[in-house]
Amino acid sequence: MTHRFSLGIDLGTSNSAVALTDLENDETAIVDVTQIIGPNQVGEKPTLPSALYIPHHDEFPENSFTLPWDDGDGKTTIVGQFARQHGALVPDRLVTSAKSWLSNPHMDPRKQILPWKSDIEEDKISAFNCSRFYLEHIKDGFLYAERTEGREWDLADGQVVLTVPASFDEAARHLTAEAAEAAGFHDVILLEEPQAAFYAWTSQAGAEWRSQVGPGDIVLVCDLGGGTADFSLIAITESEGTLDLERISVGEHILLGGDNMDLALAYTLRAKLDAEGTSIDDWQFLALVHAASTAKVALFSDESLMAAPIAVPSRGSSLMGGTLSTQLERSTLEQVALDGFFPLTGVTDLPQEGRGAGLRELGLPYASDPVVSKHLARFLTRSLTNVRASEGLKSLVGDPDSSKGFLAPTAVLFNGGVFNAAPIRQRVLDLLASWNQGRPVRELEGFQPDLAVAKGASFYGRNRVTGKGIRIKAGAARSYYIGLETSMPAVPGFKPPVKALCVVPQGMEEGSDLVIEGQEFGLVTGQTADFRFFSSEVRSGDTPGEILPDAERELDETSALEVDLPPVEGFPEGQAVPVRINAVVTELGNLELWMKHTNSDHRWKVEFQVRTE
Amino acid sequence: MRAVSIIAAFVLLALTTLLISIGLNYVPQAEAYEFHVKVAIVAIAAALLIAILFNRRPAAETQDVKAEAAKPVPIPVAANQAEAEVVSFLATLQEKGRLVDFLMDDVTAYTDAQVGAAARVVHAGCKAALKEHFAIRHIRDEAEGASVSVPAGYAADEYRLVGKISGEPPFSGRLVHAGWKIDSVKLPRVLKTSDDRLPAIAPAEVELK
Repeated sequence: MTHRFSLGIDLGTSNSAVALTDLENDETAIVDVTQIIGPNQVGEKPTLPSALYIPHHDEFPENSFTLPWDDGDGKTTIVGQFARQHGALVPDRLVTSAKSWLSNPHMDPRKQILPWKSDIEEDKISAFNCSRFYLEHIKDGFLYAERTEGREWDLADGQVVLTVPASFDEAARHLTAEAAEAAGFHDVILLEEPQAAFYAWTSQAGAEWRSQVGPGDIVLVCDLGGGTADFSLIAITESEGTLDLERISVGEHILLGGDNMDLALAYTLRAKLDAEGTSIDDWQFLALVHAASTAKVALFSDESLMAAPIAVPSRGSSLMGGTLSTQLERSTLEQVALDGFFPLTGVTDLPQEGRGAGLRELGLPYASDPVVSKHLARFLTRSLTNVRASEGLKSLVGDPDSSKGFLAPTAVLFNGGVFNAAPIRQRVLDLLASWNQGRPVRELEGFQPDLAVAKGASFYGRNRVTGKGIRIKAGAARSYYIGLETSMPAVPGFKPPVKALCVVPQGMEEGSDLVIEGQEFGLVTGQTADFRFFSSEVRSGDTPGEILPDAERELDETSALEVDLPPVEGFPEGQAVPVRINAVVTELGNLELWMKHTNSDHRWKVEFQVRTE
Repeated sequence: MRAVSIIAAFVLLALTTLLISIGLNYVPQAEAYEFHVKVAIVAIAAALLIAILFNRRPAAETQDVKAEAAKPVPIPVAANQAEAEVVSFLATLQEKGRLVDFLMDDVTAYTDAQVGAAARVVHAGCKAALKEHFAIRHIRDEAEGASVSVPAGYAADEYRLVGKISGEPPFSGRLVHAGWKIDSVKLPRVLKTSDDRLPAIAPAEVELK
């Protein structure tokens, strides 16, 4: 099949973007997304806010939200700019962070539970459908935008690359791919966001990038978006004169980002206004968050400013009578944004875990510790554990010194709006140097973080279909395990540990297929069998078929697995069929598990089912 | 009606420039100018409204703006579509920069500090709207006051020559005002309007408990 284009989609937690590479002229550009700007108003924006609004039936005039590609009986929900802006004032009807709900292990992403904790009478929506709607909007918007420019694309002629956080486990990746399929994209390749940022950098820096990194380098990709932090390490080695890149470690899913910083600044300013005897309402607080964000950018980009003015408009129509003014001082900004989120803490200073808190409100598992420095320390500490667990990785990074307690990167690639601020980048470099006995860590230069993930994804798709350009060796980011109930005599008050059978090793590559020998299961036809499913991002040394004694202690539970054995000819109903586990990573990088009949080629697919508690 | 919007934008620009001068240089002696400021604001407001109300042009004329021609509006054009589009642009300035609130208020009742604080809201919001929807730049990049040369074959609508004009271009002289121009326009489109009335600039807001 010949491809005519590559389409990179960054389905972000707070904003989505799409980039197109036309393979004929090899040019990559962001495609503006047509969206609802207001009732009866549409316009183009470079990003599509990942927000969905469910309007009340009397709230707006009929058919006020018709998109140019709507066929008439369109959806009642609104996606994008207006949804986010208006929904901020009507939070009961606004869905945001659907992506984080998709990766929430405690909630069924197909259950219609969003907006979370809302009492609206209209049908609620599931995180899965919400993601599907964003992707449908992106698909239709892309086709429409290109058509108005006189270009007709057939989606079947393109390679679509969709980015996901490196911290997404297989269940969340699977759901994302399925949402894309449901939205009308086929054979989508998933790419980890930090890798996409790296590809974007290599394409922006041109041939120059090879002079900035060399064999022996370990690059930390530090991606801080609006709502999430995502870390990865990429090791650079040399073989036969060319540079090889391998992603050696990925971080955990951390719900902490630039929005937290703006909120923290706004709370500080509100306290100041309160102390002066002025109180503001919720609407004004939203305006204050926005103003604080603007003031932050102004102060960080001009070091000579000591303070930035802040004006919070009145809610009513008398602007001059009701506008409150205050200012954001540089000292406050540094105290809140730099010392609050990026203090110079030690590398052994790890985030406080909120898990031991007993009863916990269900909802999004926001990071309970806002200190990014500590999350970074935890990531680098766990990376060392992971690298030391396998001989292959150990030799790749030159057998790291474990006495330091963490894997020290030699260079950093920053991504995400937060790092537009030079003082924040400098603080992270200072932090890494302080952990590294004062030895400086380089910043990779020539990077434009704006919309880089979408561009990098498009660029990666181009590399894949043309066979040109670089590829980061990645494979499965985690190892995966199936829980085995231990058979032992029942003892009151003692729960026997669940053993774990490794079925997918970390780094398992695209297009590979393996059968776990020596471990047979009996599946009964006509019945559904459930398995517990675990993963780990720090056990690079585990091999397929290996059994760990205690899954709950050493691994993270990912989801439940379900396999349904329909009565098949040759296998009488009710009879136990001996099967082995067959793990496949497809050419597109999707993980599939199958139960394969021991004595024939019959096999049954195992479905991921998200755990609900 | 795009042309009207552009005129509105120019008027707005003049207004924001004025606001910077009154908003940012708020010093006691500015009171001396207060009368002029008020007169200017009122005059500009009037100019804006006149431009909007009387500059009715058929929609067909707007296709000469390049960015628009590339993205045709597939919706049938209602009789008052042109007016609706101007109102919609005004609504954007109101929403982002509270422009209508600012102009319709009685400025005499407030202190300079209050006017200054409100001006910051108007300036920040309208400037963002302007930059989002128009690719706007100076006609001349030189500093005002510098000596410049106006080349032969210059676009006559982009220059206003004052003083002693004689002979053939190139002319040289002192740059008094650097001028402004727009390279492209990217306005939100109004989908559908009612035939008998125009859309609201800002809806009345009612908070339900």
